[in-house]
Amino acid sequence: MSTQKKTIEWGTRVGVILAVSGSAVGLGNFLRFPGQAAAHGGGAFMIPYVCALLLLALPIGWAEWAMARHGGTKGFHNGAAILGVCGKGKIARYFGVLAILIPMVVYMYYVYIEAWCLRYSWEYLTGGVQLTGSIEEQVTEAARFFGDATGTSTNGVLNMSAVFWLIVVTLNIVLVYRGLKGGIEKFCQWALPAMALLAVIVLVRVLTLGTPDPTHPNQNVLNGLGYLWNPDFSKLSDFETWLAAAGQIFFSLSVGFGVILNYASYLKKKDDVALSGMTASATNELFEVGFGGLITITAAFVFLGASGIVGTSTFGLGFQTLPVVFHQMGVAGPWIGFAWFFLLFLAAITSSISMLQPAKTFFEEALGMSHGKAIALTSVICGLGSLWVIWFSKNTMALDTMDFWVGTFCIFVLATVQIICFGWVWGAEKGMRELDQGALIRIPRIFLFIMKWIAPIYLLVVLGGFCYSQLPGKLRAMATNPIELWTMVIILASVLLLVVVLAIGERRWRAAGLDVDGRTS
Amino acid sequence: MNAWGWIFMLISLVLVWGTTIWAYLKLLGAPPEDSSDQS
Repeated sequence: MSTQKKTIEWGTRVGVILAVSGSAVGLGNFLRFPGQAAAHGGGAFMIPYVCALLLLALPIGWAEWAMARHGGTKGFHNGAAILGVCGKGKIARYFGVLAILIPMVVYMYYVYIEAWCLRYSWEYLTGGVQLTGSIEEQVTEAARFFGDATGTSTNGVLNMSAVFWLIVVTLNIVLVYRGLKGGIEKFCQWALPAMALLAVIVLVRVLTLGTPDPTHPNQNVLNGLGYLWNPDFSKLSDFETWLAAAGQIFFSLSVGFGVILNYASYLKKKDDVALSGMTASATNELFEVGFGGLITITAAFVFLGASGIVGTSTFGLGFQTLPVVFHQMGVAGPWIGFAWFFLLFLAAITSSISMLQPAKTFFEEALGMSHGKAIALTSVICGLGSLWVIWFSKNTMALDTMDFWVGTFCIFVLATVQIICFGWVWGAEKGMRELDQGALIRIPRIFLFIMKWIAPIYLLVVLGGFCYSQLPGKLRAMATNPIELWTMVIILASVLLLVVVLAIGERRWRAAGLDVDGRTS
Repeated sequence: MNAWGWIFMLISLVLVWGTTIWAYLKLLGAPPEDSSDQS
């Protein structure tokens, strides 16, 4: 591993930040955030959202950056071993398997949605999206197009989107194969600015729509913004709002996801992690609030009114409602449609490449595999899982099951384990000293208290509330649905595989004399 | 959009744009990285 340590590293300080930001900025920023905000109090949603950002995401993110860099100095770049070092033993190490499982399983369905985005942008470029008739007829036609294009109308269909899936999967593998510096960092260095440019183009068009239909004078840009931003303070007394805000922050920032543990482990001992962690979070928030919070809902409201938005899922809004909106924009419509879906594609691919990296590194370090073989093994596992998602695509059943158990529940669990390891096992004071090393900003000392007390308690309350409100229903549904049940079997088989690999790795690391349990500072 | 909507939107936008610009300026103004130090 010492050879790898010398050769694998980031190119520049900004490069690693753009890579982490690219991992964080995804579909959730443009589709999930506006939907969550509009449903949970509009502008008032920003109060629990900012609380969750300051008290949960930022401190846990910093903890991840610090633990990762520390683990890296011990020769580890996989989340399980890094948590074993900072959590000082087996329990943390085996919980750390989640840091490999989460990105790996999320990749299985995320890359499928990524293929939809590429397909839609291609269809807009080649004039493949044709909507006719009244608004209602166009909405129906857009829904049918969505079902046909994505294969979500029925199970067992490998349609044209499978070709786009193949393109996307190949692109992901090539980028990861080219390595951190030559693949991921290089790609994110142009993809992030390109995303910002496309977002600005779409945003400018949306904000200059005015009142396109004089017969509906209330459907204008200002009222569209008001639909999202006018606060409903009564929602603040609802626990669901606080839960939704914490959930949104988590999914959006990739905290508790396992990617930061891998990416930041390649930093050098004296590299900054304090300002880097904050900059990556700020970049993500810029895309989420600055762009996502202004584009999606506003555009849909202006053309379809409040009744066209209510009850529409966030994915439905992005893939079914917005094509109708683009159609109303006249000549510019197809170009804005292309810009929108290519923006989503770039947001998705900068996230998906980060999801392959943790498992690849884990197989390299635990099994002593070469870079190429580790990528091949990761690609085969992820590819098979992804094919399962594509095959059982009716109403996105397999996708939703993975998203709930791994992309939601496991993230809360891993984040809880991480902050407890950081604040109580490794020690918040020691962790803060690690954060200060090479830091370009001084983190306010109040965060020591937040990391030790507030974040773990806040997180346990959120996790408890989530389990209470969501788990019973999900378990009941799973018991009666064979696809959900078999999807869970796949998830558990993945866990078993990773646990076995970790056991093999642990033996190898001990034999190599590595500080597996973090006994020395 | 009502007055509260404007307040929440503008504060949120100023915060995200302000923090992001400040953070990148701070990074760009930082001393160059020490390439001799390996992990």
